[in-house]
Amino acid sequence: MRVQERSQRFSILGMLLSVFPIIIILQMVRIQANPNLTQKLREIGDALTNPSMTIVPARGQIYDKRGNLLAGNRTVYEVGVELQDVENPMTIAQTVSALLDVDYEDALVRASLEPSSTSVYSRLIDNVPPEEIEKLNVIIKQMDEMYSGQKGKNKPSLRGLVSYPHLGRTYPEESLASNILGFVNAENNGYFGVEERFNSLLAGRSKKVRVPLDPSRAQELPSVPNGANLVLTIDREIQRAMEHVIDKAVAETGSASGTLVVVNPKTGEVMALATTPRMDLNQFWKYDQVFPKDTPFNRAISQAYETGSVFKVLTMASALDVGAVTPETVFVDTGVIEVGGAVIYNWNQGAWGPQDMQGCMQHSLNVCLAWIATQIGPPDFYRYLKTFGIGHVTGIDLAGEAPGRLKEPGDSEWYAADLGTNAFGQGVSSTPIQMAVAVSAVANQGVMMAPQIVQSVISEGYQHQIDQRVLSTPLKAETAKKLSKLLARSLELESSDALVTGYRVAGKTGTAEIPTPQGYTSNQTNASFVGWGPLDDPHFLVYVWLEKPSVSPWGSVVAAPVFREAVEELVVLINLPPDDIRHKLSNTQ
Amino acid sequence: MDRFENLARDYSQAPWRKQLQVIALFLLIVVLIALVAGVYLSISARTTAVGRDIQSMQGNIKTYDREIEDMQSQLARILSSSQMETRAENLGFIQVPTDEILYLSVPGYVERKAVVLAPTSERTVARAIAMPPEYTESIFEWLARQAVDWYAVLTEEQR
Repeated sequence: MRVQERSQRFSILGMLLSVFPIIIILQMVRIQANPNLTQKLREIGDALTNPSMTIVPARGQIYDKRGNLLAGNRTVYEVGVELQDVENPMTIAQTVSALLDVDYEDALVRASLEPSSTSVYSRLIDNVPPEEIEKLNVIIKQMDEMYSGQKGKNKPSLRGLVSYPHLGRTYPEESLASNILGFVNAENNGYFGVEERFNSLLAGRSKKVRVPLDPSRAQELPSVPNGANLVLTIDREIQRAMEHVIDKAVAETGSASGTLVVVNPKTGEVMALATTPRMDLNQFWKYDQVFPKDTPFNRAISQAYETGSVFKVLTMASALDVGAVTPETVFVDTGVIEVGGAVIYNWNQGAWGPQDMQGCMQHSLNVCLAWIATQIGPPDFYRYLKTFGIGHVTGIDLAGEAPGRLKEPGDSEWYAADLGTNAFGQGVSSTPIQMAVAVSAVANQGVMMAPQIVQSVISEGYQHQIDQRVLSTPLKAETAKKLSKLLARSLELESSDALVTGYRVAGKTGTAEIPTPQGYTSNQTNASFVGWGPLDDPHFLVYVWLEKPSVSPWGSVVAAPVFREAVEELVVLINLPPDDIRHKLSNTQ
Repeated sequence: MDRFENLARDYSQAPWRKQLQVIALFLLIVVLIALVAGVYLSISARTTAVGRDIQSMQGNIKTYDREIEDMQSQLARILSSSQMETRAENLGFIQVPTDEILYLSVPGYVERKAVVLAPTSERTVARAIAMPPEYTESIFEWLARQAVDWYAVLTEEQR
């Protein structure tokens, strides 16, 4: 009986023991038979033995035309807490709030988090410069030495406070060309300018890889190419000089803002693009302070405005090109004209009598230009304006370009009166870059080049030049030549402040009333000037815009001298000798 | 039948010999296992050491890459336009007045071009074409080329 009992017990034990292998076998079958489960379990296994790591390539650098670094990378640190090592969260919070300007309460909450399988680390602050980390490390070391022998819950301790280096964006030139470059935030996203426009190219492609913890299974990490480098058409020295010029002009004229665009009309290369305000890009978090409310980051491309009389260049170009007038055509100015029911007067309300086309441009007669627009006729007039790119973005390599506004016949908001007012730059808005590009057609024998900011892209070891593009050919070369001469002569006859000693330049001033919801009731103006030179071989085109100048409302008084100052600086920086010396030098060669 | 049993007994090995054989076999297996284990241990130890070196070197590469980027930016900061201007002013340089600039015609002077920081694709193609045929042709092509050259020399001499 005893033997039988024992035998039964062994049998039950044997059966019980055999249940476990059966369960294991069944589980194995279940896993093998279910591919989803297999995959899931494999991933869990991989995650434990081969944790994933994201290789983030270094963001591409941005250089000026001469190879000066405008945007690069530098080592910054992320400061955080390893939760399982934290001994005293209060000490950590006090230290980082005092040293790194982190909010004490926020730091305390983060440092006090209970470690768990899902939370082992908490970030306190990022983009800390190495100098600050050095100070922090000294404090950590000192505290460790001072309190290492002590015990107790309230013992001051910075254990668990760690810092990890990584690359962060830096702008060695600080605010120089800031409106062109844009900036990169803490999350490595580009905002505004080149940084936003070419964000994906500059950022490169991150790669997620599994890195085995077991050193015997260590593998070479895949090569992840850095983000592409960009070479801009901007010349640092020219940009700096133009920023000085426009800052000085804004201060002297009491303007709300100032913008200065320099392009090479033959190639479309933007040589400088200076505007206000500008910010130190290394302190991108101050963006809201520098650009309050709706202030555009780059007025040259983002703020369309009614340009006023500089627009007359386009009207006159269209008229000469279509054959509506010739330079010798005489218009008898009675001081008033009615177009589509709107009565148009000259800027001084005066009647200027018989004027040829040069007189009309020299004295900037609204009445004459409105008459010219009627001679061209709406279809041709607006066709030309569209060919000049008015109402469309130029496609410049910068983020945030505004198209401006051009009402056309057929639009619900277009009235016949618009033909007359548009002729002298009223009721049509455009950005400084649009105007500079459009007028460059006059300077470049009728050919309008696309504005270019990025000259080449350096990617995977090769420098790829970006081709210069022709946007359109709105004018015949002969027309452009005639108008250039006419505008140069106009400046000379009125002894304009825009004239530059030694260099023959052509140009046009502009003074535009600023529309309000009630109409043109404001006394404030936008003062502009567009000019180019040397006349026989244009190397530059400069567009100046001063917003709401307070010393004088007139473009001829406030904007024309800025053009002269800009050109005087520019010709030295681009090694352009005065006309007579240039001619002599070219004859000797 | 007895005869067979006698024969089997005569030729059978002594028990101690059999034990020795078993022990020897066992020891041989143990030695073999130890050898294999030793080799495995040695290789895996070396692999692990090399793996650690790889991991360490990858860490170094990362650090050096970061330092290079950092130093480039530091250099750019030192050479920034504002710093350079301050340095120039401290050295007594002034901005040249426009009317004091002297322009000269220098034969051979080439105007400053935009910076070239990496080979362009065109240049790479040009370099590929410039590679001598000795590096690209096969032995038969070389022989054919030599034959053509000799023929050309001969016909030239006959003329």
